[in-house]
Amino acid sequence: MSEHARLESPMGLMIDRNTQVSFSFDGKKYQGFRGDSIASALAANGRWLLSRSFKYHRPRGPLTMAGQDANTLVQLDKEANVLADRALVENNIKVNGQNYNGSLENDRDAVLGHFSRFMPVGFYYRSFFKPLPLASLFSKRSDSWPMWEPTIRKKAGLGVLDLDFQPQYYDKAYLFHDVVVVGSGPAGLSAALKAAEGGASVLLVEEQPLLGGALSYHRFDAEGIQADQLRAQLLSKVECNSNIKVLKNATCNGWFADNYLPIIQGKRMYKVRARECIVASGSFEQHVVFRNNDLPGIMMSSSATRLMKHYAVKPGQRALVLTGNDDGYLAALDLHDQGVEVAAIVDMRASVESEVLASAVKGRGIEILTGHTVYEAIPTKGNKHVRAVEVRAIAARGIVELDGRTIDCDLVCMSAGYMPVYQLLCQAGGQLSYNDQAAEFSLSKLPQHLHVAGSVNGVHGLSDVMADGERAALQALEALGLVQDVEVPKINCDRRVNFEWPIFSHPKGKDFVDFDEDLQLKDIVNATRLGYRDVQLVKRFSTVGMGPSQGRHSALPTARLVAKATNRSVTETGVTTARPPFSPEKLAHVAGRIFDPYRRTTMHHRHNALGAKMMPAGNWQRPAFYGSAQDRDRCMQAESTHVRNKVGVIDVSTLGGIELRGSDAAEFMNRIYTFAFLKQPVGKTRYAVLTNEHGVVIDDGVACRISDDHFYVTATTGGVERVYREMLKWNAQWRLDVDIANVTSAFSAVNLAGPHSRKVLEKLTADVDLSSEAFPYLAYREGHIANIPARLLRVGFVGELGYEIHVPSRYGEALWDALFQAGEEFDIRPFGVETQRLLRLEKGHIIVSQDTDGMSHPGELSLEWAVNRKKPFFVGRRSVDIVMAQPQTRKLVGFTLPKDAIKPEEGHLVLKGKDISGNVTSCEYSPTVDAIIGLAYVGEDQCQTGSRFPIRVDNGFQVEAEVVDLPFFDPNNDRQTL
Amino acid sequence: MSAISPESFLKRSAVYRNLTGARFKEMAGSAIVAANNNGSDKATRSGLLDLSTLPRVGYRGGNAASFLETVDLPVPSKPNQFLQASGGELVLRLSPQEFWVLSALRDEGENIEALRRRQLPTSDCYSLYCQDSHAWLVMTGEHLPQTLAKVCGVDLSDEAFPVGAIAQTSVARINVIVVHHEVNNIPCFSLLCDSAAAEYLWDCLLDAMGEFGGEAVGIECLVQNLSGKN
Repeated sequence: MSEHARLESPMGLMIDRNTQVSFSFDGKKYQGFRGDSIASALAANGRWLLSRSFKYHRPRGPLTMAGQDANTLVQLDKEANVLADRALVENNIKVNGQNYNGSLENDRDAVLGHFSRFMPVGFYYRSFFKPLPLASLFSKRSDSWPMWEPTIRKKAGLGVLDLDFQPQYYDKAYLFHDVVVVGSGPAGLSAALKAAEGGASVLLVEEQPLLGGALSYHRFDAEGIQADQLRAQLLSKVECNSNIKVLKNATCNGWFADNYLPIIQGKRMYKVRARECIVASGSFEQHVVFRNNDLPGIMMSSSATRLMKHYAVKPGQRALVLTGNDDGYLAALDLHDQGVEVAAIVDMRASVESEVLASAVKGRGIEILTGHTVYEAIPTKGNKHVRAVEVRAIAARGIVELDGRTIDCDLVCMSAGYMPVYQLLCQAGGQLSYNDQAAEFSLSKLPQHLHVAGSVNGVHGLSDVMADGERAALQALEALGLVQDVEVPKINCDRRVNFEWPIFSHPKGKDFVDFDEDLQLKDIVNATRLGYRDVQLVKRFSTVGMGPSQGRHSALPTARLVAKATNRSVTETGVTTARPPFSPEKLAHVAGRIFDPYRRTTMHHRHNALGAKMMPAGNWQRPAFYGSAQDRDRCMQAESTHVRNKVGVIDVSTLGGIELRGSDAAEFMNRIYTFAFLKQPVGKTRYAVLTNEHGVVIDDGVACRISDDHFYVTATTGGVERVYREMLKWNAQWRLDVDIANVTSAFSAVNLAGPHSRKVLEKLTADVDLSSEAFPYLAYREGHIANIPARLLRVGFVGELGYEIHVPSRYGEALWDALFQAGEEFDIRPFGVETQRLLRLEKGHIIVSQDTDGMSHPGELSLEWAVNRKKPFFVGRRSVDIVMAQPQTRKLVGFTLPKDAIKPEEGHLVLKGKDISGNVTSCEYSPTVDAIIGLAYVGEDQCQTGSRFPIRVDNGFQVEAEVVDLPFFDPNNDRQTL
Repeated sequence: MSAISPESFLKRSAVYRNLTGARFKEMAGSAIVAANNNGSDKATRSGLLDLSTLPRVGYRGGNAASFLETVDLPVPSKPNQFLQASGGELVLRLSPQEFWVLSALRDEGENIEALRRRQLPTSDCYSLYCQDSHAWLVMTGEHLPQTLAKVCGVDLSDEAFPVGAIAQTSVARINVIVVHHEVNNIPCFSLLCDSAAAEYLWDCLLDAMGEFGGEAVGIECLVQNLSGKN
């Protein structure tokens, strides 16, 4: 570091000189300071070569020092394509170059640059996708791309992915502000202060690590004092203003309707809602197109001043400033004042415009060459750095004299003008139009509540920029209603900062328009000659503006070149569309911290402790069975056998629960469900089928009549939300006196089933008579189980003596514990959903959504008994009448197969000749029946008991199933009515 | 002093397992976290508290408001507001005809239990099941809006969501009722969520609070000298 000492303070605003940082680049150790970017730390060590260009592998160094270009893309251990002029250097990080063959210093692929004339734009398309001679030499195929692709892909691409990368924590957060100001340059700062002083809550967003924008690196006056003083004043005011929240290192990456702004800072994406948005995003300094304008050591003037002001790094020893405006003079003064010898200012303009600046420059002994340009930069060996430039007088627009002079230098600073940072504004619908007089774009047609200020608004003088920021803030305050009847000043700026034609072609090329894609001047012109007249087509054909810098520096020269080549104005040509994101963003930012809600029953942890294999049921987790996944069949069969012979318990808390209360509750039930409910006795349950207006069965459950005006209805786990919604919808029309409440989560429930279930329950209750006479099948009772208030339903879903016990969910886990304690002597065991499905299948009970589909009407499901055709109305009644009056085409039937047959899976097709007549909906091996049993839709002529029908199973096999009567087991229901 | 375990009670919170190591105390017939190895300063900064087992009731219907008036509870004039009763209960108005009453922290919910025993109007006033359908989590401290901003798209800053306001919104993609109140001058957001999703939300909130040093805290961080057995 001592060899390349840093400039003295106040240079180095961003570095902490007291904290050194060690790192390596391409295997060599370097030191920098905390606050250094990788690029600045390397520059401080005299290392300028950072990367190789995408196509020709040309050496590249810092261009903007602001993360606006692809010249500084480097490889970190865990991450490729990191911008070295944005990424902070950290202790012990390993940084490497990327996209080279050999070493960064000696890239064998740099030879490609010599063949550039054979690789014009469109080369790949035209050479490898059609039977052109080059391709057909190697391939008989008309399309030789598959053969070349591996080689080309190997050469293409930047960086190396770390396939062992472990995901990191990224998240999102919302922010809400009256005003968001994007950019903290003089316009942004004055806008933020004005808005905040007017009473608005302001979010000030700055992409760089420090506030001030150009005030932090640009010189605004010959004396060089104005910027620092103004910045200090403004920052002091911002710090003192509690209405302003500042986000540094934060990029507003898009604009969406109603000022919805994604702002990325570190590993977080803020989703900002702003009532008013002021874009003071500034402008990108533009380069000059001349031969070898991409050599390391050639950079924007602002890049050189950033190196000095931000990092205290001397950008070179002997500089040449190539400019088309006064800013080049200011940069030259800065360079000189920091000890850089300025060989000359080459001003492309015909004459000096600011005598004050010219005088200051001349006073320092710096030569000024007006009406001149750099025609060619002369590199050191291997194009590693600029060593001299050839300067020629400009003879006409884009044309130079035949002779020039060579000036030695190791630094060329370019100031061709500026392009507004228009991306966010164009995303918002703003329109760019080109002012031929000023040779720059301006924006119009912005939506309401979006304002623009500063140089992005075409205002360039410092005082004008400040005034423009205040103007935008006033407009925002007025829109917010914080000021009334205020006269908003009009800011006019006639200062010209853009040189109208900073483009100088060279017969040997390498006069780059787009550094990202190695696109030379002739590439753009040739694209227009091939018929791509529209700038959008030029972009797609040539890939101009499609690299990481997204046209920040190529859009303006491309527009000018296309306009000239097609004899149109630049306004007619326009620039390509700007879409979000403004800068590359990681998928991790978009994903953020993923929220994946889950629901657990109160007994969930008991299931886990018992070794349950959990399965999803909507957003619930339910035990499928208890045991390992590999033992599924054995576990299920053991559990089902246990329920049939002893006693089992299943958590059915996920079943939907809906409470209906009010004087019209019975009438409401009668209209919603297919069965009759007006005369349902209190203390009884009744099967409830719900059809939609098309007559399709969409849910079922059990309705308990608790009192004359109180029903408690269960619904399927996955269907309860829909049922509840339907009920609310219908009663919005019917206006019945009924309160409808979804109480699914309010109750925990179990089904205690098996021959010993009554004995278990008897140990736990003193206030419910459990005898079959007092509490028969399908009855409903209330009482206490283990001192827990409970609703008890005699149900038979699994075909055994059984009780559904519903308790307030705070008691759910205690209920489970009590049942297992009481059931210990009866060898009580848990059973899971898969087992329950097998048990109910043995009883021929359907599961809505598993055994039904979007066409299933009650007739197909043999549910005629659950449809009351005498009552005048229920939802879907008319459709049910119509579809059941028509000839039936299919029927859900029970079938069996020998136990050693191939077991069909749900969804396997039922065939009739060559046609499909139905499908299997449920199928399992039943240890009780000792056969494979199932339910399937079959053709109407296949549904007779004893009929046989083919099922196409996996691998093209077919099995022959036999239709049997349902249920498969206990046809008289003796067991469940015990 | 014998340690109180949530499993020694019939009534249990859905998230009691997430509080291993905490000291519980008996309140309202269940165990509630008294302290979690941190002090009241934690609640002042960023704390998360589970009050799910404390009593609460809800009423809905055309006669619900008048019923509350007859039992001397204040009735908020508009939905999405609450008023604090003289006994410390929070009376939430969730819609023109729906009200929830959350227990005061000091009385172990005795007033709520008394309310439960009151005869409801014979028509158009129905008790709700919010005691069991919803968990009651409380976030405390000075970083509430910033923490919720990581999981909720609604502006919950003091300006937009002052004390007394209620937001019925989505937090971490589940429905949550957010109530902005204070306990002993400590800012609090009570979050009432689906009880089946309480564990999920608990984890999400702790994750969001981590940035601010947030931790689970006990009720003693908010209220000193509580009744109930330790």
